[in-house]
Amino acid sequence: MRILLVVHALPNDEVTLHLGTQIAGQAGGAITVLAVGGNARDRARVEPSLGRAREILAQVANLQTRVRLGSPVRQVLREAQEGSYDLIVVGEPWHDNRLDRFRPGSESVHLVENAPCSVLVVKGKPRPIRRILLCDSGAGSVLADPVLRAARPSPSLLARFAAQVAEMLQGEEDITILHVMSQIGAGPGIPGKQLRAAAEELIDERSPEGELLRQDVQMLVRPGVQARPLVRHGLVLDEILHEARCGDYDLVVIGAHPGKLWQKLLLDYLARKIMVQIDRPILVIK
Amino acid sequence: MTRVNLAKIGLFVASLYLFVLAITLMKEGAIGLAPLTQTLAVTSPANSLGFGWLFAYTIMSGSPVAAAALTFFDAGVVDRLGAFAMITGSRLGASFIVLFIGFLYVLRGRNRATSLSMGLLSLTVTATTYLPGLAVGAWFLKRGLLDGVQLRSGALLSSITERAVEPISNAAVALLPEWAVFLVGLGVILFSFNLFDRCLPQSTLKESQVGWMSRLVYRPWVMFFVGALVTLISMSVSVSLSILVPLSARGFVRRENVIPYIMGANITTFVDTLLAAVLLKNPPAFTVVLVEMFSIAIISVLILALFYRLYEHSILRFVSWVTARNRNLALFMAGIFLVPILLLLA
Repeated sequence: MRILLVVHALPNDEVTLHLGTQIAGQAGGAITVLAVGGNARDRARVEPSLGRAREILAQVANLQTRVRLGSPVRQVLREAQEGSYDLIVVGEPWHDNRLDRFRPGSESVHLVENAPCSVLVVKGKPRPIRRILLCDSGAGSVLADPVLRAARPSPSLLARFAAQVAEMLQGEEDITILHVMSQIGAGPGIPGKQLRAAAEELIDERSPEGELLRQDVQMLVRPGVQARPLVRHGLVLDEILHEARCGDYDLVVIGAHPGKLWQKLLLDYLARKIMVQIDRPILVIK
Repeated sequence: MTRVNLAKIGLFVASLYLFVLAITLMKEGAIGLAPLTQTLAVTSPANSLGFGWLFAYTIMSGSPVAAAALTFFDAGVVDRLGAFAMITGSRLGASFIVLFIGFLYVLRGRNRATSLSMGLLSLTVTATTYLPGLAVGAWFLKRGLLDGVQLRSGALLSSITERAVEPISNAAVALLPEWAVFLVGLGVILFSFNLFDRCLPQSTLKESQVGWMSRLVYRPWVMFFVGALVTLISMSVSVSLSILVPLSARGFVRRENVIPYIMGANITTFVDTLLAAVLLKNPPAFTVVLVEMFSIAIISVLILALFYRLYEHSILRFVSWVTARNRNLALFMAGIFLVPILLLLA
């Protein structure tokens, strides 16, 4: 696994590096630590961060450090494209600029939108990853349109998670697979039992949401990993943020926004809103 | 297939003809209702608002009341602001229909939240956009800002349609008292809307192949325009809401999508009232409907652009509160009956 760790020469680099160490410890592979400076004078400013990275990641066999100059997001994207990485780990905030408070998460969102691989945005106070909240909308799975799926197959979030991130799991994680049903009855006479049902009831009834969760749980079956399905009813964004906070998760996993033009134009970009509003590390799977 | 389409086209033509006939009859008979409005003391915009609201409850439809308001205005029974307020009241009353059907399901033992949510959303969104829209519209009417905007081909259209319905309307006027002509017109317009609803291609929407689309969460602006477009064709908010049912296999719709859809629908639902104003050959009546649409559009666009998330949360919280307990529901139901009565009596 090839991991790109981005440092900003800020105090929050420490937590990014420690989380990188944890991931590298599980996944192995190569890590490149990248520091981006605005101009040549910044090289001296970022060098101590790279030195600190070499200390913290001393046990990583295949470690490289690199400095790039220019626009931070553009340079990270260029490095990601040239280096064929599997995962980018980046801390937030990107600057200690006060203006950034008025547009939180904008660089991370831009990075996620354009990155060729999955991105882990480190924010809040990261801890060892034990409790994971995986938010599955059902895109690319049983909830997606069968015709559309057959025409343009795209793997489900769980399939992508299992393929890309499974090797990062220690085998002691507690994974909650969350599906939010924000639906209401479109008319007065609609049978609405499923609009109030818990995950287990939906699985028993073999409803589309139940089938999604059943398949997701099956996909995560591995020694030591506890996977449990969860359904919440309400607005998608609110319910994800609420569950992330109340469940005290160490990591939230979501899928990236679909890239087709019509989807960008018509669909609400919930991944962006979650990324901006969440208060803990978030992994965006591509 | 062709036979079905021809039947629908026939229904459409018949409903249009009956609509024109109804407007003509109501126009001729409206003056006969003047004693009724005097008895009910419909003198102020508040009275008109309450009158339109209760009238729509009584006949379980908004569009005929809006058309009636225009004929009252045409006959000089109410003034411009009164007609404007009555049309607003008609929409508030009309949005009660979905709630009323849901209430019947609750009485039959169905779940309260599932049965009432859509009706409550429809009524609450309508009330929260139309009541501020009332103030904006009153200001527009006072300033006469839209008075110059008129449909140029309106006179030609009304002269053609007038000839088509003249024999029947003349006979009705000759045989019946004015108030009865109005009531016949009201009956005909209700029937014409009923016929029009049957023209909609409901069968093709059943268990549709685009069911997956109902599972997606759209941008609010997208749903706003979709709601406006669907209602422009169906001319009724309750019909355009019912179109959502077969779009999903289980009749579910994302709550994120519903509110902007209703907001869009609430603007173009006036297209039939606009047509009624053209048929009346009354430019100020046309202005009243245009101002209605314009003011609701302004309020809706402001909400969507400035504080949509806050608005969405507030509406959904209110709906949850109403459906949480029988007492809350009873309070709400009492409120939506008492408020128009108080307005009428004010």
